[in-house]
Amino acid sequence: MKPKLKIVSSQKGAPAARAILEVEGLSKGFATNTNGAGRILVLNDVGLTVRKGEMICIVGRSGCGKSTLLNILAGFLSPDRGCVRLGGRPVDRPAPDRCVVFQEDALFPWLTVRENIAFGLKVRAMSRQEKEREVDRFLALVGLTEFGSYLPAEISGGMKQRVALARVLILQPEVLLMDEPFAALDAQTREEMQDLLLHLWAKLAHSIVFVTHDVGEAVLLADRVLLFEKAPGRVKEEIAIDLPRPREKDTERYYALCRAITSQMKRA
Amino acid sequence: MKRLYDSGAWAHRALGGLLPALLLLLWLTAAETGMVAPYLLPHPKDVLATAASYVFGHGGQAGFAGRFMDDFTASITRVMLGFGLAVLVGLPLGILSGRLALANRLLGTTINALRAVPGISWLPLALVWFGIGLKTTVFLVALAAFFPIYLNAEAGARQVNPTLLRAGAMMGVRRLRGTFAILLPAAMPNIITGLRLGLGISWAYLVLGELTGVHNGLGAVIMDARMLGRIDVIMVGIIFIAVIGRLCDVGLHHMLRFAFKSARRLP
Ligand SMILES: Nc1ncnc2c1ncn2[C@@H]1O[C@H](COP(=O)(O)OP(=O)(O)OP(=O)(O)O)[C@@H](O)[C@H]1O
Ligand SMILES: [Mg+2]
Repeated sequence: MKPKLKIVSSQKGAPAARAILEVEGLSKGFATNTNGAGRILVLNDVGLTVRKGEMICIVGRSGCGKSTLLNILAGFLSPDRGCVRLGGRPVDRPAPDRCVVFQEDALFPWLTVRENIAFGLKVRAMSRQEKEREVDRFLALVGLTEFGSYLPAEISGGMKQRVALARVLILQPEVLLMDEPFAALDAQTREEMQDLLLHLWAKLAHSIVFVTHDVGEAVLLADRVLLFEKAPGRVKEEIAIDLPRPREKDTERYYALCRAITSQMKRA
Repeated sequence: MKRLYDSGAWAHRALGGLLPALLLLLWLTAAETGMVAPYLLPHPKDVLATAASYVFGHGGQAGFAGRFMDDFTASITRVMLGFGLAVLVGLPLGILSGRLALANRLLGTTINALRAVPGISWLPLALVWFGIGLKTTVFLVALAAFFPIYLNAEAGARQVNPTLLRAGAMMGVRRLRGTFAILLPAAMPNIITGLRLGLGISWAYLVLGELTGVHNGLGAVIMDARMLGRIDVIMVGIIFIAVIGRLCDVGLHHMLRFAFKSARRLP
């Protein structure tokens, strides 16, 4: 049975009310050496839309500009051309409405798990008890209730990413940006984290932009997969994943979609 | 938090006392066997007696009996003033030039040029500017302590993982709050190194400042004793400076660990 790849038409006609994050005509280049003589174009005319509550996965080979795109969405970098809008308003700086789970360990090593999760609440107008209660809730949500007093150096890589997830989810961002968050974990821990993410997503209904180079992961998680093309990076294809949830990994449809996307990727 | 080598902690600490004990033994042997003449190296028990008289002020030690509290207060005041001044100026400037290329350009050249000047060459200038006494000593101490504090703060601030700053920014913690919540803690290991080096060198320059004819202070005692040929008093002065310097270092470390989580929790 040959699976049909459903290519989603461009989102231009989509109703604006349902789109939470809109990216249009995004281009970004970098100077290739320090004196700025050469320049490489990393992103070229990237456009995409994320609807409210939707999870999209960006898949592409190493070096195709996925992290660069995410950094622009987060407001860490500004694009050369194009714009990013969140809920209709252009974004130009980092803010808690777009939070990132980084690829590398980015917890504050001098703070305990609890204090790391509470960090973003510093600037919120909430009572102490309210904050404590929120931290307890999110510790429980990521299954770390017993580890609140541990330092990052004392917990495993998987647990660190749970903390990284909790410290941004507690801020209730409109869009969660995840840059290969599970790539450094072993296979079993990665599966646990994928399950956790799906569980939290079902519960909290965030919109998620998830970057990965693992096609299997993308097919497991995404409502839509955006296939990124290399040099310069741009969206080559949008593939709707219409597998029913909860998804099973060892089904014929799952493998067929993975194979199809992988072969598309090879041609990218 | 669990500690590595918990069972051996005491043995570990005692190890630090091993070398002084050996030195004392060597000294004792040299004095007892008469290998070294007493006018070059007095017997430990004479030095001990001098120390007791210096601190508690009985016996006929003429000019030196009971001076300790006065000298100690004078010296520690000068060190703390000089060191405090160095921290007040060196820490903010160091962090600023670690983070802002502009500040680094502006300050770096000058500071590194000044750093090349040996501290002792400032002494004549300081004497002309400030005269003999408190101001000259504080100036020398502050100047000497400034460089390690500035340089380490600069290195610490420059090496902070940029992802941590990005993480703070996305969680809404930026600028001044971010400086105190992220930048300072992340740079803390370097800052501590700078402060400890700075305090250590403060004592060295204290003695330099006090050698110039002030009437009190631990450095002054050493200088007076040299004039009078009192080698036992010189040795007492040296030992007191070593002990007090070490205690200050330990005190500083404990204070920082008490005041800052990052000082307690980062290696
Ligand atoms: N600050 C920068 N200066 C110069 N070049 C950069 C910079 N950041 C990224 N690049 C270049 O942009 C390209 C895309 O980098 P990016 O990190 O976005 O790729 P990626 O898709 O995330 O790769 P990976 O899957 O390996 O993480 C790379 O060729 C990289 O060399
Ligand atoms: Mg990347």
